[in-house]
Amino acid sequence: MRDAYQEQLDSLADSLAGMCTQVADAMEKATRALLECDLQLAEEVISDDLKVDEIRTTAEEKAFALLALQAPVATDLRIVVSAIHGAGDIERMGDLALHVAQAARRRHPSPVLPDEVAPYFAEMGRVGVALAVKAGAVIRSRDLMTAAELESDDDAMDDLHRHMFTVLMDRNWTHGVEAAVDVTLLARFYERYADHAVAVARRIVYVVTGQMPGPLTV
Amino acid sequence: MPPVPLAQQLGELSELLGQMCTAAAGAVQQATMALLDDRVRLAEQVIAGDARIDALRAQIEELAGDALLFHAPVAGDLRAVVSAIRSAGDVERMGDLALHVAEVIHRRHPGHALPAEVRADFAEMGRLAVQLARKAAEVVRSRNVLTAVELDADDDAMDALHRRIFGVLMHPAWPHGVTAAVDVTLLARYYERFADHAVMVARETIYAVTGQEPDAIPT
Repeated sequence: MRDAYQEQLDSLADSLAGMCTQVADAMEKATRALLECDLQLAEEVISDDLKVDEIRTTAEEKAFALLALQAPVATDLRIVVSAIHGAGDIERMGDLALHVAQAARRRHPSPVLPDEVAPYFAEMGRVGVALAVKAGAVIRSRDLMTAAELESDDDAMDDLHRHMFTVLMDRNWTHGVEAAVDVTLLARFYERYADHAVAVARRIVYVVTGQMPGPLTV
Repeated sequence: MPPVPLAQQLGELSELLGQMCTAAAGAVQQATMALLDDRVRLAEQVIAGDARIDALRAQIEELAGDALLFHAPVAGDLRAVVSAIRSAGDVERMGDLALHVAEVIHRRHPGHALPAEVRADFAEMGRLAVQLARKAAEVVRSRNVLTAVELDADDDAMDALHRRIFGVLMHPAWPHGVTAAVDVTLLARYYERFADHAVMVARETIYAVTGQEPDAIPT
């Protein structure tokens, strides 16, 4: 009985970590679609978002079954509740990758990004994907050191985000309002994506320590 | 001391969530007034007031955790507790978005954050946001599924305004330059997301009451 219970908890963590892998993959592809004006890749991200939503539904069903049938207490209860929160955060990360892909598709075949900001978005994509992968690792390992790493990785994302605004507000911005609007929203999508990865890690810290390491909405 | 009965805890959860929604409605109302009239002190009040919404969320999560721990609820009661936990996250985010609106005003002070061309649109977005948050408060208190379904239609009006504002921004005649465009882009996005979260709160209630995802409810 106890073993079946442990298996259910592990299976819940597997679903969530699997969601992280999916949304990391989605953001990697969305960023490539954005930088290389690859319409097919953008379409792939857009249609694959359904898979993330499906895993979320499965994960939530597992969480409900655990709560209803096993009535977990103490750490186990915190694990299940944090999984419910995590599923919401990770699904939102998938939505944000989808928004990036939609921007790439909307402007196709023109590039969305002016050349001078493209390298920053390549870097935001890299940092975002690394955060999603790490969030998945933290869900499996519950390792507090890795969870703490997400905080500093997110600082790098915030720096990039702020820098984008400096570039936009510069009087030498020559790309017009439409490009500025696109860059503003895209930078925000990456920044929010990172925030949700951090929220997932903070919930795991709470599971392990009983203390929340920082605000949940960053 | 015997644990508080589950029915009482569920009632308290609804009440706290209702308070949270009402607080978010107040925050976005004040933030909008501050935005329309460049009232930086009012914006500062919104920024300072967000801590109260965050505290309500923490209170809801604690109470929900107690309900799960002491009563191990099942079926509709379990859905009610889980949906309260999730909704509290959405409403906290609504508070954050009102705060972000206030921060833009603060950042631009003593200048104007809002060009005249879009002032009326933001007044309307603010009105809709307040209405949605108040309706969400009503829904979590009454658990009325019909009112919950109405929120979707109200949100369509918000989406239409959001698109309209982009049309104004992208128009070649936009005279205000990039900085104002960036502010307006973000502000419009904050209102649109505020509305999305209000809709999610309503959907959570529909799910808690009926056990069905809202898309399965005929409207």
